[in-house]
Amino acid sequence: MVLSFFRRGESGMDHITGRIVGMLGDARHSFDVATGAVLHGVAVEQAADDIRATDARINRTEHELRRELIVHVSVHGTADIGQVLGHTLLIKKVERIGDQAKNILDLALEGVSLADAPDLDELTEAQRSISALFGEVAALLLDPDADEVERIRREARAMEDHHAAHILELVHSEQPGYVAVPRAVLHRYLKRIVANLVGVALTVTDPLPPVDPRP
Amino acid sequence: MRSVSDPSALPASVATPSPDRWLTTRRRALLVALLIYTFLVGVSSLETGIKILGADTQERLFSAVSNPLAGLFVGILATVLVQSSSASTSIIVGLVASGAVSLEAAVPMIMGANIGTTVTNTLVSLGHVRRSNEFTRAFAAATVHDFFNVFAVAILLPLELTTGALSRIATWISDRLVGSAGAEWESPVKALVSWPIDRFRGLAGDLGVSDPVVGPILIGLGLLVILTSLTFITKNMRRLVANRVERSVNAMLGRGGGLVAMTLGVIVTISVQSSSITTAILVPLAASGVITLRNAYPVTLGANVGTTITALLAALAASRPEALTIALLHTVFNVVAIMLIYPIRAVRDLPIRAAEALATVAATRTHWAVGYVFGLFIIVPLVGIVVLR
Repeated sequence: MVLSFFRRGESGMDHITGRIVGMLGDARHSFDVATGAVLHGVAVEQAADDIRATDARINRTEHELRRELIVHVSVHGTADIGQVLGHTLLIKKVERIGDQAKNILDLALEGVSLADAPDLDELTEAQRSISALFGEVAALLLDPDADEVERIRREARAMEDHHAAHILELVHSEQPGYVAVPRAVLHRYLKRIVANLVGVALTVTDPLPPVDPRP
Repeated sequence: MRSVSDPSALPASVATPSPDRWLTTRRRALLVALLIYTFLVGVSSLETGIKILGADTQERLFSAVSNPLAGLFVGILATVLVQSSSASTSIIVGLVASGAVSLEAAVPMIMGANIGTTVTNTLVSLGHVRRSNEFTRAFAAATVHDFFNVFAVAILLPLELTTGALSRIATWISDRLVGSAGAEWESPVKALVSWPIDRFRGLAGDLGVSDPVVGPILIGLGLLVILTSLTFITKNMRRLVANRVERSVNAMLGRGGGLVAMTLGVIVTISVQSSSITTAILVPLAASGVITLRNAYPVTLGANVGTTITALLAALAASRPEALTIALLHTVFNVVAIMLIYPIRAVRDLPIRAAEALATVAATRTHWAVGYVFGLFIIVPLVGIVVLR
């Protein structure tokens, strides 16, 4: 342990960012498994065990990263304070995505299965797009690119609008509750996950919301 | 749309190299080496300047510290003023090297420097004063260092004054390393660091400047160079090893232990040449609850030992074995203090309990905290010096 001082290795904000990317990978795994249980008939109990274990890992990583961020500020002073505060918010967003994946799993645990639903293809496409978005956001954290942030923000906005439109449509639909409600809830969680992923992507260019009062 | 080719489009951490990015690790390491040389020149300048003043002036200037308690208070106050025990102990080494201060008189000063150096993290802890719980943890983490050092002096100063045990150990080691006291020691770096001083004296001689003028100039320059170079050494070393320190602290927090934490304290402090930096890192960690007082405590003890490296380094520039002896005594004092206080749990816990009790009181009555800092580090030493001189 003491020898870690003499060893070469990643440390500082690069190390923390690397761990956040790992956390994002865990959140993606939870999301894929949870949506798999709802959309593709993956065994629910097996999925639940997997997601609970992954969520515990996400929560543990969140605590460790918070501690590492405090250590970073204590050692380096305030030089990276904007990035540190941004990462603090970012960690919370990733942790929330993990929770939202658990919420999707809860639908499956309540017996919701859309494996034979007529709109399965559309939902599967939405699930694939969001899963791909996890990868794009992770790549962005490792290799910051302002243009890519802007592209992701535009595409994610379109996804959010798509899910919002579905929610509105289902709220006013005359379909029975057991058809409309699970879909509305699922769209709601998908929309929140997309919003949190965009929030993570935006920390690359704007770690904190800018304060720019007009005279 | 913002473009990556436009640096203003990205946050500083992403796009814009910091202004000192040109100072690569290798260049910074070279700069530190140069600064260490400058520091040693400063010690040599102080030693030479005092020697030039002559025995009478030395006697007038330093007779006050012949009283051990006055010496202790001088050590505290001088360290508080320069906010660095590395600086004050290096100056003490310079004074011993010049013969102006005897080894016996320097011992309490070195012990005082150990107490005085804890003022920095205690001041840092005051920054948390508005949040009671945070402040209690921060102030306890800071003052546990104070209490340990005060207890160490309370035990070891009387022992040293009555038996001379610590000086005997330090002298024994010094004798084996460089020879007996009273002899001139051929320090390997002495010739190198004397060169600029000799050139300066030669130039002053050519210009007709007399020794009574050159002496104080060399002393002033020496002090200035010691303080400035140490500041920059610390600053640059901190940058050089910050990531390593961060990694080690994270590793320690993951699987800590007393001896591991202590060793880490030694290594980090040797690396940054400042115990204040090591202990000041612990204060915000303790305040936020990331590290407990019991885990922070051994790190501060390691910092006590690690900080003695600077005086040992300063002794390289000195020509008398006594300079190395006093530097070694600083190390011996801190190691013996740990050996006496740390192994037995009941004794080890005394500084922790005292710090917790004071922090609890200070959290509700913040003027006690301010009074404690002024009292221990300024008023008591000042009154002590005035009364005992």
